[in-house]
Amino acid sequence: MLAIKNLSRSFGDIKAVQNISFTADKGEIVGFLGPNGAGKTTTLRMIVGYLQPDSGLIELDGENVFDNPLAASARIGYLPELNPLYDEMMVDEFLRYIADLRRMKEPNLSERLELVRDKCGLDEVWKQKIATLSKGYRQRTGLAQAILHNPDLLILDEPTSGLDPNQILEIRDLIRELGEDKTVILSSHIMQEVQALCSRVIIIHRGQIIVDDSIENLGSYISGTSEIVLELEAENPDFQPWLIQYPEVQLTEIEQKDEHLELKFTIPVEMDIRKELSAYVLDQGWNLISIYKETQSLEEIFHLLTSQEPFYTEEEILEEEEMLSEGDNKPETEEEATSLEETQEPSNEEESSTKEQQ
Amino acid sequence: MNPALTIANKEYSLANRSLSTYIIYGVYLLACGIWFALNALKMGAADMRGIFSIMHTLFLFFIPALTMGSIAKERSTGTLELISTLPIKLSHIVWGKFLGVLFQLATVLLFTLVFAFLISLFGIGVDYGAIFTGYLGLLCAGSAFIAIGIFASSLTDNQVLAFISALAISGVLFIIGRISDLIPLKLFATIEYLGFDYHLENFLKGVIDTRDLIWFAAVTIIFILLAQFRLQAQNLSQER
Repeated sequence: MLAIKNLSRSFGDIKAVQNISFTADKGEIVGFLGPNGAGKTTTLRMIVGYLQPDSGLIELDGENVFDNPLAASARIGYLPELNPLYDEMMVDEFLRYIADLRRMKEPNLSERLELVRDKCGLDEVWKQKIATLSKGYRQRTGLAQAILHNPDLLILDEPTSGLDPNQILEIRDLIRELGEDKTVILSSHIMQEVQALCSRVIIIHRGQIIVDDSIENLGSYISGTSEIVLELEAENPDFQPWLIQYPEVQLTEIEQKDEHLELKFTIPVEMDIRKELSAYVLDQGWNLISIYKETQSLEEIFHLLTSQEPFYTEEEILEEEEMLSEGDNKPETEEEATSLEETQEPSNEEESSTKEQQ
Repeated sequence: MNPALTIANKEYSLANRSLSTYIIYGVYLLACGIWFALNALKMGAADMRGIFSIMHTLFLFFIPALTMGSIAKERSTGTLELISTLPIKLSHIVWGKFLGVLFQLATVLLFTLVFAFLISLFGIGVDYGAIFTGYLGLLCAGSAFIAIGIFASSLTDNQVLAFISALAISGVLFIIGRISDLIPLKLFATIEYLGFDYHLENFLKGVIDTRDLIWFAAVTIIFILLAQFRLQAQNLSQER
């Protein structure tokens, strides 16, 4: 449906978006995630035709949007960042105005107006001045404007920013519903938001895509290993006979807690040996207290991947360009992720990792 | 409906809901009215050349006040992004804004028909043809002022700055015919031709000259195109 190919855009010396490529299919809600200043809004603005890319292609069903920008924008619904609306207008009047500019005709127009009124829950404020609306209703009005013409592609730039938790849930439900038969691209700097809504996440940092994968696979981007923590009651337990069977597994730490021992095993991330390990512990007649796998939370992953200065210094740009020219234009996301990871202090990882208890 | 008309219609109806519009209308009409009462009415003038000239002079402040928000405000509130991503051309936006203000100007000129009415009551040998062409000339000059104002408004997101730049640009075109003392005689004919006065003068005399019509149309179109280029230069999609 939507295909972005090698898109770049600079503002003066700042490379806001560098050579990014991704695709989005129908029925997919893609989360576009990144810290402030990462290039999310710039990318979305290029997709909707508000900004001209320096280079690269944006294709809707195989057609370059710049060949026929009017036809392309007729298929796109866009909720800009900060949701600008005409404060002096009434909700219905505003939506009619947008519909007129989109040249929607009766009877389709009345039908669609009624539909968005119900879907976005605008009944109560239908004849109210936009300036007097609460933030939640403003956001709904913005969404109503974006979906009014039943677009194939819906671009939402931080749709829930500034809303209270109840409003956030309502807007999320609405987006989820819309995502069933449309392509939705949703930008956010909040991980939970993307986690709650999206099947796929694209993390953008310093104008480059560093992750493009399903939410479940995110963990593997951050470290090649995860950790199994085992708590048991035993005197000088010997794991050597068991460890011989699994050369990938390493016993990294043994610590005496109050009444029990705590052992930590490092394993490759795709591996899970909790079952085998607990079976061994029971075989030996030791008292198993708990066993769990420590994985990084998505927040932590996001933090690790993106917690650097938002923009490159000139030297870094040069380095980056060298790296790019070596590596076939598009950076290998995994390499990128690993190299980012190496620059982090390991203590960070331990502090906020969550525990997946078995 | 053409998107430009949709925009013009919305601009006009929103302006009519805003108190500031009425204040601007009021101040303009009051200033014209005071001059009219003190001069034309007192002297029992039979033509409107004097009041037309004052109305034209006051355009310098009146029209930038109407146009200053047209694009600058949309930019500062972000709605410019909203409308420029709709499937309409940028030319629709700038011409829509232009027409919206032109309707406002026409509305205010309607109120000044009171002056024409009073002159027809008290004056002897009133030249109604010249009054008609005078209004036509004011609308033409007004179009040029509006185009300049919209261009100025497209330059910035600050309405005050938009007002001042519109005043400055139209001020140059306004004053050019009135500073003959400062201009070498040889150049005078050429430079005078670039000013508003030279072209409006014929209309006030009751003469419609196509060269004057073309001049006002050219100024209008040039500045509207400049406004459009200005929006395009902000990296909106090409071809829009």
